[in-house]
Amino acid sequence: MTSNKNTTSKLDYSLIFILLLLFLASCLAIYSAQASGQYKENFLIKQIVWYVVGGGIIAAVMTLDSDQLRKLTWYAYGFGIFLLGFLIVAPASIAPVINGAKNWFVLPGIGSLQPSEFVKIFLILGLARVVDQHHQKTLLKTLQTDFWLLMKMGIVTVFPLALIIKQDLGTSLVFIAILVGMIFISGVSWKLLVPIFSTGMTLIGTIFYFVLWKPDILEKYLGVGEYQLRRIYSWLDPYSYQGSDAYQLTKSLLAIGSGQTGGKGFGNREVYLPESQTDFIFSVVGEEYGFIGASVLISLFFMLIYHITKVGMETKNNFYTYICVGVISMITFHVFQNIGMTIGVLPITGIPLPFISYGGSSLMGNMLGIGLIFSIRYHYKKYMFSTTA
Amino acid sequence: MVVQVGGLSRLKKSKQKKKSNISFRLNLIFFCVFILFATLILRLGIVQIVFGEDYKREIEQKEVVPINSSVPRGKIYDTNGKLVVGNTPLKAITYTRSTSVKQDEMLDIAKKLANLISKDSEEDFKLITKRDRQDYWIMNHPDEATAKIKKADKERLEKKELDKKEYDKEIYDLTRERITEEELNSFSKQELEVLAIFREMSSGTTLSPHIIKNKNVTDEEYAIVSEHLDTLPGVDTTSDWDRYFAFKDDKGNGPLSSVLGKVTSSKEGLPKDSLDYLLSKGYSRNDRVGKSYIESQYEDVLQGQKETVKNVTDKAGNVLESQVYREGKSGNDLVLSIDIEFQKRVDEIIEQKLGSARAGQPYMDRTLVSVMNPKTGEMLAMSGKQYVKDKETNKTEVQDFALGNMTTSYSMGSAVKGATVLTGYQTGAIKPGDYLNDRPLKFKGTQVKKSWNTSGFGSINDLYALKRSSNVYMFLTAMKIGGQQTYVPNGPLTIDKVAAINTFRKNFAEFGLGIRTGIDLPGEQTGYGGGQIPADAGKVLDFAIGQYDTYTPLQLVQYISTIANGGYRIQPHIVKEIHEPNNTGELGPIIEEIAPTVLNRIDMKDSWIDHVKDGLELVVNDPQGTGYGTIKNKQYKIAGKTGTAQALYDGPLGGHPMLWNVTFVGYAPYDNPEIAVSVVVPWSTTDATHVNLEIADEVFKAYFELKEKHLNEGKTGSEGTEGTQTIDNN
Repeated sequence: MTSNKNTTSKLDYSLIFILLLLFLASCLAIYSAQASGQYKENFLIKQIVWYVVGGGIIAAVMTLDSDQLRKLTWYAYGFGIFLLGFLIVAPASIAPVINGAKNWFVLPGIGSLQPSEFVKIFLILGLARVVDQHHQKTLLKTLQTDFWLLMKMGIVTVFPLALIIKQDLGTSLVFIAILVGMIFISGVSWKLLVPIFSTGMTLIGTIFYFVLWKPDILEKYLGVGEYQLRRIYSWLDPYSYQGSDAYQLTKSLLAIGSGQTGGKGFGNREVYLPESQTDFIFSVVGEEYGFIGASVLISLFFMLIYHITKVGMETKNNFYTYICVGVISMITFHVFQNIGMTIGVLPITGIPLPFISYGGSSLMGNMLGIGLIFSIRYHYKKYMFSTTA
Repeated sequence: MVVQVGGLSRLKKSKQKKKSNISFRLNLIFFCVFILFATLILRLGIVQIVFGEDYKREIEQKEVVPINSSVPRGKIYDTNGKLVVGNTPLKAITYTRSTSVKQDEMLDIAKKLANLISKDSEEDFKLITKRDRQDYWIMNHPDEATAKIKKADKERLEKKELDKKEYDKEIYDLTRERITEEELNSFSKQELEVLAIFREMSSGTTLSPHIIKNKNVTDEEYAIVSEHLDTLPGVDTTSDWDRYFAFKDDKGNGPLSSVLGKVTSSKEGLPKDSLDYLLSKGYSRNDRVGKSYIESQYEDVLQGQKETVKNVTDKAGNVLESQVYREGKSGNDLVLSIDIEFQKRVDEIIEQKLGSARAGQPYMDRTLVSVMNPKTGEMLAMSGKQYVKDKETNKTEVQDFALGNMTTSYSMGSAVKGATVLTGYQTGAIKPGDYLNDRPLKFKGTQVKKSWNTSGFGSINDLYALKRSSNVYMFLTAMKIGGQQTYVPNGPLTIDKVAAINTFRKNFAEFGLGIRTGIDLPGEQTGYGGGQIPADAGKVLDFAIGQYDTYTPLQLVQYISTIANGGYRIQPHIVKEIHEPNNTGELGPIIEEIAPTVLNRIDMKDSWIDHVKDGLELVVNDPQGTGYGTIKNKQYKIAGKTGTAQALYDGPLGGHPMLWNVTFVGYAPYDNPEIAVSVVVPWSTTDATHVNLEIADEVFKAYFELKEKHLNEGKTGSEGTEGTQTIDNN
């Protein structure tokens, strides 16, 4: 990454700094989380290794310029769809059912791999490419062209979504979040956006109404399982519901709440939470570092988003801007959903906290996204120099 | 590519517009992100700052732990409300071990306690095991204990690659082994007392009060420990109880004492055979439970509801506060159907009659009397006495043997002939009033079978046969039941012995002979012989006169009750009512009344039963009757049947001489029976004794006299109050 003197100056140092802070936070949190001794594995070492690998991914992605990215987009997208499809038909020997879902390839010697984590990035690329191409071809923007754009974006999203929605609700929601962000930035007229989003809101409201007051209709006509409903109920009233979701939520609230303002300090956890090194890592942070520490972590994410937003603003290349928005949507959704579920703002869905939670696939996916940002910074400066020179 | 100038400018404009549009929307997205993250921080503030204190407290408060403390066991009263079994309150010093207390802290408390109370009786020291001494020695001599392990030992153990826990255990065990006898016996009396207290303290379950001392706690000890409770964490002074028998004599014998049963001590705790069952019902291991007879049978009733206290503890296990979670309640009280006064009277009769009849009778060591209300099944008395030779002192003592009424069985002899005759009717072998020729029967290859009147009674009917207790009439009936209609002198006995004995047993069982009576006590026996097929057919004839299968005195009284009440086999029960506990000394409100249970109706016509009852009336009231001479109290209208069985001795003295069991079954008054009696006096060396009839006569008399007395008391309005005066020592 630092071999070429010319390129070093184009490196995004503030982004590296933010990443280093996140890396540090991740190490501290995972170290504390595994102290409960639920597993024999040393997650911390593995996470550090994954970070190093992630650094390599960033370096690799950085070498690709805008044109190369455009060309690669559909190959990557197609490869992602293939992986998701293959996951469904793959034999249990390489794609076992873990926790009731078939989301993972387990490759001997390498470990487990969750393709959907990468597909998120491929989806961002695909959508950015579609929007960018649309605007290049469409000189006169009308409602009709906007609508056509929406259709194209929808089609690009629907394939990966259809392949995972049954298996992995959390990631499906990430896909949708990415789509929403992209639609928003795609420049589609407000005349279309307002009805679309208000319809969406109404739909969510109606579903909630049914979940809360008429669950039998959902079960009867939509085949919604009782366990899916229970997820909502245990979120709204964790103390009255039994089961793992309510258990995790009450434990998580207990951990975070008892951390109070200043936290209990490094290694002084008191509340046992299963799987705290992955999805409930924020509970560890909240308990050990309190409100101050947790707020600092959220601010760190906010700085990351701010930085990516700035990159998206500064670049003259719309394709890049779209990618930035996709990455922003993805990270924002992950952070809000993950932290939200640990403090009872949202129902529990199994998605990790980016850069902090232990997990190779998730970290690789996020690094891939951040790699794109690095690449944008690296290359748009070059464009800038070339145009001014 | 040709682009119009105007178009180009419009395109440029549109591009610029688009760019500003994009940055506007990007800003908007950023704003949304800001709002979302702000929401998270706001919510975090609520959870961690506003409610943080609550969550922190929730963590500090550990689980609330329920603690059970014992409540007094239910009392047992007799049918008139007299206390039979109650509770004596005891002062007790308890220790509740918290989860966090350390050994040296406990030792410290034990040392303090040893100064305040004395626990140095021989019994206390006897309970100290070798292991206790070893542990205690190591605790008191840590340096010397460490010195016992040599470097070589450690190296040897390290080679085994044990984990730390196993390694420590090996070291500890080795240390224990190397403590010399001398060292173990080096404790002073003072130290032993501390050890006796310490071992009690550590043997309790955590968070559950364990009794350190409840025997002979003096008022001074109780007071001084109470004063020093604040320096003795975990120690408490409470009350405990001990079971108390109201009518016990100094030898520990009392009326019914064998039937009332026993309660385990808290050291014994739950009986092993029902440990899992009782634990699953929420008992603690050191709870006292009924282990035999009434105490065991009615455990659910007598055992109260323990008071459950929930202790809120902090993380360290220190008790922060205690809340009563469920109020304790004393056990419910039992009212027996037994009239304790009558029971005592029957006991006296037996003791007196048996005492004088035993002269020159080495084998006659027991007498059993069951008295039951034939209409309700209520046991009015269950009396038994047994002479037992004390192995150590070689003195013969009388012991309560009420239990023997249901746990021992004997050949009952002619007392069962009522059932034999009725079986004859039922099978069609004989008809009421049939005449048969009573003469000595001689079958090929067997001994002569005859009535006690050895030359025979001649041609007699069934009533005469019952009255004079003809054996031959029963033999001939049994032959007919077995399919052989005529007797040929010196001819073979050709009956179908299997079919005959099965018919007999089936019909006898309808009266309760040979099967469980269903009394509300555990451990009831059914007698011997049932199901056994006799080797020779002559034994079937013996069966007909009660000399083959054996029955319990309780079965006998059920049998005679079945005839007395007109054919209903009724379940005997010793508990009449269950009452709520009442601390004022009077009986509390009734919870349950045990209703009479008819087990079966015998398959015989009423007229047949009446006919047999006529015969039984003659036994006592016809001058020729076998009971006429001895049963003198004719005014009570007694009907019954005597029995004299030749039986092999199988009692405690060893050897199997041929002896006589003398028995009696009867009821009175014969026109409206209210009591049914069975008397069994086994193992007489002569058949000339009338002790069975003398006892029966006295029992009837005692019953009717007491009845009279109660009636008079009722008239003067004093009934019941007599009972309450003696109730409740609690």
